Amino acid sequence: MIQHHAEAVVLRSWPIHEADQIISLFTRDMGKIKGVAKSAAKSRRRFGGALEPTTYVRARYTERPKQELVRLDSFEIIRSPLSAPVDYGRAAALAFFVEILEETLPDHDPQDDIFRLLIAVLEQTRVDSIWMPVTYFALWITRLLGWLPDLSRCSVCGERLAGSSSYFDAAFDGLFCERHSPGAGHGSVDGAAGALSRRAVLSADSLALAVRIFRTPASALVSEAWPRSRAADLRRFAVQSLERHLERRLTTAVALLRLGGA
Amino acid sequence: MSQFAEPMDRLIEALRKLPGIGAKTAQRLAFYILRSSAAEAEELADAVRQLKARLRLCSSCNNITDIDPCVYCSSATRSRRSICVVEEPGNIAVIEKTRSYNGLYHVLHGALSPLNGVGPEDLRAGSLVGRVQRGGVEEVILATNPTVEGEATAVYLAGLLHSLPIRVTRIATGVPAGSDIEYADEVTLARAMEGRRDI
Ligand SMILES: [Zn+2]
Ligand SMILES: [Zn+2]
Repeated sequence: MIQHHAEAVVLRSWPIHEADQIISLFTRDMGKIKGVAKSAAKSRRRFGGALEPTTYVRARYTERPKQELVRLDSFEIIRSPLSAPVDYGRAAALAFFVEILEETLPDHDPQDDIFRLLIAVLEQTRVDSIWMPVTYFALWITRLLGWLPDLSRCSVCGERLAGSSSYFDAAFDGLFCERHSPGAGHGSVDGAAGALSRRAVLSADSLALAVRIFRTPASALVSEAWPRSRAADLRRFAVQSLERHLERRLTTAVALLRLGGA
Repeated sequence: MSQFAEPMDRLIEALRKLPGIGAKTAQRLAFYILRSSAAEAEELADAVRQLKARLRLCSSCNNITDIDPCVYCSSATRSRRSICVVEEPGNIAVIEKTRSYNGLYHVLHGALSPLNGVGPEDLRAGSLVGRVQRGGVEEVILATNPTVEGEATAVYLAGLLHSLPIRVTRIATGVPAGSDIEYADEVTLARAMEGRRDI
């Protein structure tokens, strides 16, 4: 039996048996783990409201020999998503972080940079501010997972992209200059012309913003105005990169799309 | 190749789909049913069949009922001036047990859940607005769960009802009765402070 005392974020929980809960937990020291909270529904004393997804906690838990699930002993809340007002948009942003981490994080593999990213965006996600943290998270997680192409040059010819529009497509890795963009015909990444292309444009402004995002903490960007239209193309680019590698649509990206900002 | 005869396998598979039932429990239940009398087994099968055949949603409040409108909506003694909105039909029984509410209900059958693909258009909210617009309602009580999804749902419904001339309230949350505030987490305690009242 090894006892742990570590910072963690609750990702999801499922009820089992009468009153127990299985919790998927992103811990700082062990990465993503699953644990069982015995009679959590009844025992307010040990868990309180701390089992709500995206709650940032200090967790005590115990690894048990030959057991896949750790035993969760107690959670102390550092920050709860319920401490600030909630609406559908904020709920969708929080669920977006959870869905991506649930789908991509390997079990029992510490990921300190991703953990710090999550804490940073959770802190900035408010009812009047969801698009900055969603954009910031989508772009950074794509990079930290190793799925982000070089944003500075065309993936086919290496031409510098800064300062002009570039192109991307759900089916291909990379960013492309106009000549090599999907659907541009002979010489393009798909070698095809015209109508069938689903290529999308990434504006010069959004590309410049991406460069800034990789140099700036989230807390420094939150004071800027982020209407849903800002960098929607950049979010779509990051979400498409994630979905291409996951080989499925993200349910929460659909929710964000319906809110008009993905 | 299964270790059981086909009818046994079929029952075990069906039972395994029930929430909280694993392979072992499903087997145990199946063997129990096999050993019970034909009358007992028929009683169980008939209860399952009748449940699906006779129960439907109340056309007014979406509660699960065998008569339409349901017992609450058709009751002569309940107040029609308030509607209590809940996520699940099972929540009604819990509120009824308190004996502190004598109005009508509205069942959403879920809450807004981006992770499960449930958006505003999937909630049974339009019929709630319709009920209020038909008049006579003075208060809508939003009794969705005090979770992120339940809060988001309450805020969304409050927005829908905003322009109507009624009072919209949210149930208070706080420290459980009979417990010790020493063990309440900060969020619960903060809400209890917000929801305090004069005595
Ligand atoms: Zn090129
Ligand atoms: Zn009814």
